[in-house]
Amino acid sequence: MNILQLFSIAWQGILSNRLRSGLTVLGIIIGIASVITLLGIGEGAKAEAEKQVTALGVNLIYIRPGSVGTGGISQGQGTAPTLTYEDAQAIKENCPAVQAVAAQYNSTYQVQFEENNTSTSVTATEPSYPGIRNFFPKRGRFFNDSEMNEAARVAVIGDAITENLFHGDNPIGRRILIRGELFEVIGEMEHKGVAQGNDMDDQVFIPITTGYTTLFGLNQVTGRSVRSILVQSHKDQDMQANFQITNLLRLRHNIQTEEDDFTLRTQADIMQTAQSITGVFSLLLGATAGISLLVGGIGIMNIMLVSVTERTREIGIRKAIGAKYGDILSQFVIEALLMALTGGVLGILLGVVGSHSISTFAKWTTVVTPISVILSFCVSLAIGLFFGIYPARKAAKLDPILALRSE
Amino acid sequence: MSLLEIKDIWRTYDLGAEPVHALQGLDLTIEQGEYLAIMGTSGSGKSTLMNIIGCLDKPTSGQYFLSGQNISTMTDDQLAEIRNRTIGFVFQQFNLLPRMTALENVMLPLVYAGVTGEQRRMRAEHALKEIGLAERMDHRPNQLSGGQQQRVAIARAIVNRPQIILADEPTGALDSQTAKDIMGVFNRLVEEGITVILVTHDQETANHARRIIRVRDGKIIGNQVREARTGGRP
Repeated sequence: MNILQLFSIAWQGILSNRLRSGLTVLGIIIGIASVITLLGIGEGAKAEAEKQVTALGVNLIYIRPGSVGTGGISQGQGTAPTLTYEDAQAIKENCPAVQAVAAQYNSTYQVQFEENNTSTSVTATEPSYPGIRNFFPKRGRFFNDSEMNEAARVAVIGDAITENLFHGDNPIGRRILIRGELFEVIGEMEHKGVAQGNDMDDQVFIPITTGYTTLFGLNQVTGRSVRSILVQSHKDQDMQANFQITNLLRLRHNIQTEEDDFTLRTQADIMQTAQSITGVFSLLLGATAGISLLVGGIGIMNIMLVSVTERTREIGIRKAIGAKYGDILSQFVIEALLMALTGGVLGILLGVVGSHSISTFAKWTTVVTPISVILSFCVSLAIGLFFGIYPARKAAKLDPILALRSE
Repeated sequence: MSLLEIKDIWRTYDLGAEPVHALQGLDLTIEQGEYLAIMGTSGSGKSTLMNIIGCLDKPTSGQYFLSGQNISTMTDDQLAEIRNRTIGFVFQQFNLLPRMTALENVMLPLVYAGVTGEQRRMRAEHALKEIGLAERMDHRPNQLSGGQQQRVAIARAIVNRPQIILADEPTGALDSQTAKDIMGVFNRLVEEGITVILVTHDQETANHARRIIRVRDGKIIGNQVREARTGGRP
């Protein structure tokens, strides 16, 4: 008996009760479609998180000071003034794996232009910042080394500030007040959106030297303290850079056995955190979809069992005229497989369409990977096989005499 | 060598407390080309005997040789093959598959015999023509009369050129005129050299055969050889 014949017999079996087969297939369609769609949402969230992490530049290492403890209560990371502008200079000079460094000090101030004012984050940094962050001015320019050295009162504003203070007019050359101090706007940053939970467009950038002289002054103990140092390592040298920076800072801060007063986080760490979060998200979505798939599979088994009972006499006739165990077994297994596969293929189509509609209408990023399509296809095959075998064995083992006698 | 040799066959069913002996040491020999009727009331064991002759069931003890092959020791799949190639069944209720056409029904044993394509169709059409149903090959069973359905069933039984036709009350569901036609078909098959075994409780039907076996309580109680009927064909 050839395989084509088996398929044709199984197909006749499916067509013999179209409504019932259709409903059974529907169960698989819904299961597979939800697997595809929900995995698509999970993958989309992952891709979105990765995009957000890499949007702020690549090969980055974030250095932050340790936390201040007051009576055993930690004030949170970055509150201690232990990291200084000089540390940043030393890293730049002494660590060969480091490509660029930008020290940062940021604080929230009132920013004013004529009668408009807004409260925003003022980021005091170095001219290397745009290159590291992959974040450049779209109008005007970023401040340069000479402005940095002479602590010039220049500012580069984010495009949200342009909107808030200048209502979209060209801000270049205008003078704004930051906490009452006068600054000249020399550039406007490109639109970046939200990255790592910060609105990158609602910021004002000034030279860090200007920051110390006009806005936040010097720390009594450490002098020019910074909130963070942004380091870009040479490509694929983040481990070396990490090592070099750690040793350098321990040396400079005279740390031998006590705990470090700074922390390093590489982009890979941040990526990993983001991925572990979205991974859990994907897993939950996948599990939910998997349950509906399981229910679909049980549906197939249920219908196959009913079908075997209903067709007992047919099985008896087939056996009487020479059908072997394997003939009957494969007839019913193939029937279950065909239903599962039909459901699988239609479910994949529906799932792809569903993912696209979610992207289009709900503006969620969804990513349908070939893996999830292949996986779904294989799973539906496995479901057909798994839930089809028991009813098929039941059919194949029927005693032909009893089967012929049944009504 | 006889076509069929049954020696001291027992068939025992374990139904609860007491075992039921449906066949109790039965012996039977059938030669190639015989036209035989097995008669008995219900409960006599004739159905059990028919199931064993038809290789649908195996004896509890005793031996059964069909064309020299020992059936008693065969596996289920081997029995299926014997049923497919050596025996053709005709049932009281026709037992056609309702969703298939007459032709498809007749092709079914060939499907399981591994005959494919044009060969299968040709042999099935030939069998239907032989039985006088050439015009109704594409009809489904519910579009056919009882007599026509039984003819399709006979075509299905002979399509694989079996040595034995085993007919279980073949006219039980037919009116007397149609029954006569069907019995005529069996007569013709016998003339072609096929061994026909009728299983019936109806004397009228049994009278078509040339030898009548009577079964009671799982044993053969009568073996009557009759004169060959002449002019029995319609």
